[in-house]
Amino acid sequence: MRPFEFERASDNQSAIATFNDLRSADIDAVNAQIQYLAGGTTLIDLMKLDVMKPTKVIDINALQQANGNIEFKNNGLRLGAMARMSQVADHADIQQNYPVIAQALRLAASAQIRNMAAIGGNVLQRTRCTYFRDTSYANCNKRAPGSGCAALEGVNRSHAVLGVSDQCIATYPGDFAQALMALDAQVELDGPRGKRTIPFASLHKKPDQTPNIETSLTPGELITAFNVAAAPYAKRSLFLKVRDRESYEFALASAAVALDLDNSNVRQARIALGGVATVPWRAKEAEAALAGNKIDDVTAKRAADAAFADAKPREHNAFKIELGKRTLTRALLQAAAMEVPT
Amino acid sequence: MTDGTPGFSRRNFLATSAASTMSVALLDRGARAAPTPAQANPREPLKLTLKINGRDRELSLDPRTTLLDALREHAGLTGSKKGCDHGQCGACTVMMDGRRILSCLTFAASAQDHDITTIEGLAQTDGTLHPMQQAFIDHDAFQCGYCTPGQIMSAVACVKEGHANSDPDIREYMSGNLCRCAAYPNIVDAIKQAAPQMKEG
Amino acid sequence: MNRAAPEPQANMGQPEPRLEARLKVTGEARYASDMPVHNPAFAFLVTSPIAKGAITGIDDKDARTVPGVLGIFTHENTAELKKLSWSQGGGGPTTSIQDLGPKIQHDGQIVAMTVADTFEAAREAAYKLKISYQEEIPSATFDSPGVTQTDAKKPTPKAGNAEAAFNDAPVKLEVAYSTPTQHHNPIELFTTTASWDGDQLTVYEPSQFMYGLKNKTAARLGIKPDKVHAVSPFVGGAFGSKSQQTPRTGLVALAARTLNRPVKLVPTRDQGFTIATYRAETRHAIKIGAAENGKIASFQHDGWEVTSRPDNYSVAGVEDSARMYGFGAVKTAVTTVHADRNTPGFMRSPPVVPYIYALESALDELAVKLKMDPIELRRVNDSNKDATGKEWSSRSLMKCYDQAAEAFGWSRRSAEPGSMRDGNWLIGWGCASAFYPTHIGAATARVKFNADGHARVEVAAHEIGTGVMTVVGQTAAERLGIPLDRVEVVVGDSNYPPVPVAGGSNQTASCCSVVMKACDAIMAKLGGANIKETVGSGPVKDVAASFSKLGVSTVEEYAEFVPDVVKPNAVTSLVDDPIKKLYEGSPSLGGGSHGEKLMYAMGAEFIEVRVHALTGEIRVPRIVGAFAAGRIMNTRTARSQYMGAMIWGVSSALHEATDIDKRNARYVNDNLADYMIPVNADIQQLEVILVPEQDNFINPVGVKGIGELGNVGTAAAVTNAVYHATGVRIRELPVRLEKLLTT
Repeated sequence: MRPFEFERASDNQSAIATFNDLRSADIDAVNAQIQYLAGGTTLIDLMKLDVMKPTKVIDINALQQANGNIEFKNNGLRLGAMARMSQVADHADIQQNYPVIAQALRLAASAQIRNMAAIGGNVLQRTRCTYFRDTSYANCNKRAPGSGCAALEGVNRSHAVLGVSDQCIATYPGDFAQALMALDAQVELDGPRGKRTIPFASLHKKPDQTPNIETSLTPGELITAFNVAAAPYAKRSLFLKVRDRESYEFALASAAVALDLDNSNVRQARIALGGVATVPWRAKEAEAALAGNKIDDVTAKRAADAAFADAKPREHNAFKIELGKRTLTRALLQAAAMEVPT
Repeated sequence: MTDGTPGFSRRNFLATSAASTMSVALLDRGARAAPTPAQANPREPLKLTLKINGRDRELSLDPRTTLLDALREHAGLTGSKKGCDHGQCGACTVMMDGRRILSCLTFAASAQDHDITTIEGLAQTDGTLHPMQQAFIDHDAFQCGYCTPGQIMSAVACVKEGHANSDPDIREYMSGNLCRCAAYPNIVDAIKQAAPQMKEG
Repeated sequence: MNRAAPEPQANMGQPEPRLEARLKVTGEARYASDMPVHNPAFAFLVTSPIAKGAITGIDDKDARTVPGVLGIFTHENTAELKKLSWSQGGGGPTTSIQDLGPKIQHDGQIVAMTVADTFEAAREAAYKLKISYQEEIPSATFDSPGVTQTDAKKPTPKAGNAEAAFNDAPVKLEVAYSTPTQHHNPIELFTTTASWDGDQLTVYEPSQFMYGLKNKTAARLGIKPDKVHAVSPFVGGAFGSKSQQTPRTGLVALAARTLNRPVKLVPTRDQGFTIATYRAETRHAIKIGAAENGKIASFQHDGWEVTSRPDNYSVAGVEDSARMYGFGAVKTAVTTVHADRNTPGFMRSPPVVPYIYALESALDELAVKLKMDPIELRRVNDSNKDATGKEWSSRSLMKCYDQAAEAFGWSRRSAEPGSMRDGNWLIGWGCASAFYPTHIGAATARVKFNADGHARVEVAAHEIGTGVMTVVGQTAAERLGIPLDRVEVVVGDSNYPPVPVAGGSNQTASCCSVVMKACDAIMAKLGGANIKETVGSGPVKDVAASFSKLGVSTVEEYAEFVPDVVKPNAVTSLVDDPIKKLYEGSPSLGGGSHGEKLMYAMGAEFIEVRVHALTGEIRVPRIVGAFAAGRIMNTRTARSQYMGAMIWGVSSALHEATDIDKRNARYVNDNLADYMIPVNADIQQLEVILVPEQDNFINPVGVKGIGELGNVGTAAAVTNAVYHATGVRIRELPVRLEKLLTT
């Protein structure tokens, strides 16, 4: 771990103001020399590995009072970004009205980590790609742009098949982001250039030719809240996570599914996939394939096939295409069969 | 950061280099225009007060020191264990303000102003064991014992959180604590014994 | 109901709670890195990012500028460390690759160590140390270009004409299996703290062999063994990984001497994958020829095992697999495959885990072929001697099967694969046998018995979680006729009399035998000739009277115990005095198949798996194991060991595998988030059945080792169950869900 200045911020403004000094060539928030510290479960982990080397760390945990509220409004749910994963997962109203959110969070990490990690930081957690995390590998375009990608021909069982490029196949590791993706959430930001709101779907960037740029956040931009509309599909939603062991493991494949049914026909389907893609992956082709149909083995499988039509496997992760399809199929059938309270 | 030297803004350095140890300043609104140099030289130790098991401890620490290393190497509390140092095993679990967290992924500096409880603070001062500690003995819920402090802190929190109401719940909410000796079934039995006793107590 | 404390049956001791239990639940138990030393400096290792080649340059300029850095140790300033000669077992080093360079012989080889005032500064300096390498293309594992093969040079049983018998057999099975690289991953890291007082060194390091640590550290430093004090009161999991001398220990001691300050090293989790040992990947070819009734006329087992370039390490478990049933004829061979890897070493049940997995999988396949119940196949081949004619000292295999099958409800199994189902989950039931050779070694102990009825037992034993302190205490309490709470047991210190390495599951047998001997000598002094009448029944007041008669307040006895299997003679082909060797750090262990009779503990394990019909997740809701292992000293600690071991077995089948990047012979999932071991939620119902057994042949206490029995065969029981659930036969471990997505 490299030496850094440590400061604690008492409010958004003072936290953001620390970036006034920043004159370096930081290209996005993830690579900025100043980093916000909330739960620390990604940042401290990666600082110990010498992957992240901020020169200044701003502890924003004191912002929990201001930015940590969970509010229900007429038009939906507002989740303060400093709410901890466990607070949201354990919230009875969220469990009932936005089950995909509560389930995605409950299935993530461990009880301790869920107590620590703020949901704003959680969506920014970084890939588990071993070649990214171990700095003794020279080739990682995400860590050292232009150096190559050791994963392409390496051990890549856990790597992505969707949203990949010839520069990077690192999987986005999280679960909660898929729930926000499926529910069309909006992200409230505050930063050196003021406040703005963006669709959650535009927060993460596919690797393409610049895998080092992971998000659309600029240095100093702070996620302050997520807004989720009270859409009709929110109640009939679930998160399915498939993994080698029963708990405390990243997904091999996951599906966040939300359905609005007219009797049993799909009025609207919202689908996001995890464990198989480089970013939280919205499966619009699958959604379109379901529209107007009754969900059964055949239609669910057809939608799943559509979701993975463009998948690109590597040596050890080809199974993720079949697994991803089956995971989505299972999730759709399960969601269609849900008893939904009115 | 005008000269490209990480961490050494010239102004900040001049402002604070006289101090041998520095406390962490809290940034506030007044600092918006020009952030107060809180601890401008990252090489200088931070002077911290950590409240551990109800007692204030004055520590002078490298800012990079984790809460786990602060406990083990600076406060002499070696009950909390290092098993991975990356939040993957749970052996370092402690309570912060009554909630279980991983001390290996927490900077000591962030633990200021919070109540820290470690395994050493669980038994009563007269030596009477916490019901969870006794239950771990009764059910042989450990073998080598290395993960045990973390398991017990986690188990106490599991009950307090209300996540110990069924076997599947206990198993799921205790899955953040690896036990390589694999005492898992006995850990579940121990929690089932201690949970009602904790509610009575 | 307290499942943790089973009611003792015949030939079983009481389920006493562990003597150290309170220390362990309060955080007061001190492991090596918890031991307080004055003003320690902190060390951080730098390991090689290449597997083969040489260091061409070291630039430590940036590293030295880190404030607080005290020293940087590389091959350039550590040449005074002596090289230890490698041999398998015997308390030697983990590897003959001990230098920090310039030659690089495996990925993760220690190439430097930084030492600083703080852990944080040492780590920063390690990251700032620039080492340049000349890299050659390494050979990673089986089938990699450049590997070489040698004979394992181990005993491989042969009897009769196995090839002819195979050709003549009406039913033939030819199958191949493989097992992956696995790492012990005890939760405690491979720490070392070294502190000098003049020319006297104290080493705090988790160890399974105190006298190995003492002697080999001395040898590495070129000092006399009496200058080294090794301390390891508690060990945070070991499983074989802490039984040999690693290169780090001498390095830390040298740094502490150079800097004239205690040095504390806590390596990282990923470094643990390459600075200690591991279970190497294996391959197996099995040929079985059987009669229509299942009787096996011919058993042939060839094994291949990966090892390092310089060291011919192998586990060669054909020695066990070929003897476990009444085969007509056997033929076996083991080949080692040398790659650019660190040297493998003992990991819980080293020979039998991979080789019995292959045997027990093949038996299941044969049962399917014969349309026989797999238990009946084993019954048909149960025998009072092996193919070479050697008889068993005791064998309770089928008793274990009968009790476990009953508890599991095996009679309700429908044999057809895929025929049992619960909604979307396919159910499979499988079983397999567990075998583990009974070992014992020369050991020593000191017992002090006071007139007030309190006793103290000193043994340099190893509390790795087995409960050795407790069973030693129980032995002393019984022989001295006092309650257990009056016995103090101290272990884990080279100032106490030596006992063998805590490996091969010998510790209970060896320690209890010698402690029994010391106690009996005390009682002889106190009570005259007829000890047997006194033992276990002598009230304390009588003993007190004996003390006053002798006119002493304490009777102290030091005892040495040398079991027949390690006595120097023609049969054992040993020449050295085992006690002298033990003091010098070389344990003498014997038993298993190498004595006059076959001495093995046995068990039967039953597994229920559930496989999701669509997504293929494999879960294990139910585990039942029945085990017979001679005298059980303490039903509580015994059950816990079996329980943990069976979970290890499940882990071995479904979870554990160290992935290797074959391009550069590097372990990639070298952390606890990617190297899977079970979490609490993976284990649901688990039942341990202790089957009474008495064996007066094996050793004075009648104890067979149990710590390594429970994880043998489990992997086969799991894969057999997976076959029953899905019809898919997995012959390459681990079973991962992608192998089941084909249907």
